[in-house]
Amino acid sequence: MTRRRITNILIKEWRVLFTDTNNTLMVTLVPLLIVGQLLLYVWLAVHFGGDTIISANIFQNAMEKLRQSSSVVAVLPVGDQFKVLLLNQFNFFLLLIPTMIAISFATFSIVEEKLNKSLEALLATPVKTWELLLGKALAGAIPALVITWLCAGVFLLILLGMGWGNLIDMVLNPSWFLSLFLLTPAVAILSFLLGVIGSSRAKDPRGAQNIVLVIIFPVLGLIAVQVTGLVWFTPLLTLALALGIAVSDVIILRVAVRLFQRESIVVSWR
Amino acid sequence: MAIIEACGLTKKFGETTAVEDLSLQVEEGDVLGFLGPNGAGKTTTIRMLSGIIASTSGYATIAGQRTDDNVEKLHEAIGLLTESPGFYDRLSARCNLEFFASFYPGLNASAQVEKYLRIMGLWDRREDRVGGFSKGMKQRLALARALLHEPRVLFLDEPTSGLDPEASQEVRQMIGRLSSEGRTIFLSTHNLAEAELLCHRIAVIRTRLLVMDTGEELRRRFFHRQVVIQLETSDTSVVEAVKNLAFVQDVSEEGNELFIELADPKKNRPELVRAIVEAGGRVLEVTERQHPLEEVYLRLIREEANRDS
Repeated sequence: MTRRRITNILIKEWRVLFTDTNNTLMVTLVPLLIVGQLLLYVWLAVHFGGDTIISANIFQNAMEKLRQSSSVVAVLPVGDQFKVLLLNQFNFFLLLIPTMIAISFATFSIVEEKLNKSLEALLATPVKTWELLLGKALAGAIPALVITWLCAGVFLLILLGMGWGNLIDMVLNPSWFLSLFLLTPAVAILSFLLGVIGSSRAKDPRGAQNIVLVIIFPVLGLIAVQVTGLVWFTPLLTLALALGIAVSDVIILRVAVRLFQRESIVVSWR
Repeated sequence: MAIIEACGLTKKFGETTAVEDLSLQVEEGDVLGFLGPNGAGKTTTIRMLSGIIASTSGYATIAGQRTDDNVEKLHEAIGLLTESPGFYDRLSARCNLEFFASFYPGLNASAQVEKYLRIMGLWDRREDRVGGFSKGMKQRLALARALLHEPRVLFLDEPTSGLDPEASQEVRQMIGRLSSEGRTIFLSTHNLAEAELLCHRIAVIRTRLLVMDTGEELRRRFFHRQVVIQLETSDTSVVEAVKNLAFVQDVSEEGNELFIELADPKKNRPELVRAIVEAGGRVLEVTERQHPLEEVYLRLIREEANRDS
């Protein structure tokens, strides 16, 4: 019954989501544009930044760790090593996609029910709070995940188009795959659960978005620590991070259920 | 046997008491009209009884199930029509109902959805988006949603509020039909005529439960029964003769009509008519005046307001 209920919440959410053209564009087009835009920045940095950027102190630590992590990269010209360093950040940049979609959609998930005045009728059914919250989180996380993987594919195609195909082997390392297929799903679910918490605690969509905006900072932090070489995400570290976030998904779901106060949601919201 | 039972139910929101010490019982198959002014605690009571919010103190049981324990089980036994219909406007009527039906174990969702869409006269519009429905259609759809799982107890929170007279009548007819099927209905309404038409008993609340009885008993409790005598012409000697009768408690006159309060209307009526005829009055019609429930309600609320002030 539980699985059926969660599936039905998923299907309903998707029907509501994809009957709105703006929502559909937001989920599909915007992430693709962001990937394209980021690659453009990388290309601009490499072509017009030249030695000034490559030799910047901020990147030296990371460049050294990159050379240590891969003997293949170590023998490349410094310019190509810099390209690989920047392209390696994309596995973390891709984490921003589910996070960004969560800010937009998960925050509306409960607020919209309240605005529609459908929440009270929903809470009068035998649905359990955790089924409702997990269903809503998955309803956002699954499309966000699919579009993230699609963006990863587009990223590789653009690399080929830019004539950087020779670097693809160095980008597609074990950390890349672990990040894409373990870390990204864990972060997607976490983002949407936090989004749903924000949504259930806020009084309106804007308030919910403000609460959820904090999700983005840890992801930016990951990018910052890697690009500066402060922490180098080896496959083992990436795996540990993914598992850690997966465990926190379960904990956050329990927290979300505790924070979802039916009474204050039904009575206080206007 | 009481299917709805509340015992000392109290709800406070901070310093404000929304419902105080509410105790009532509703028998299976009864329709209870739950009346009260705005902010009297009607919706809060319904929310407590349907397990949506918890009481501050006291308890309630619905069909033997505590409302503060295992609410999922409780929700299988009740149907709730909320104050606002509340649907997903971009989804069709069928999709909306199937979604809500999917939460009930062992329910043939598509069959139940078809059954109630047909009953509510919405089958032909089943694939239309709910956003395009009129208020009345949404209300009928909300009623269908409340009934999908065949609940024993229905809570209806102002089901005709904001509807035009035609839509109100449709919803009322539907409630009447549900009542005739033997369902227990807890009907919160502002519409006194509706309550009188549909309900077996009436409860009036203003934070506390003021009264709960049948409409007839409430009238009897608050107003003496009045006999109305229509005369061919008004005649002061007839009025004087009536006033002199020992069992007459009060007499008033409006045109050709006399309004007379009797100690025992059933027993005193023949003697009254004879006295009028003997005094030369020509009686056209003898009827009993029914005080509308509205008068009872207003009197109750005013008395309560005076007591508070």
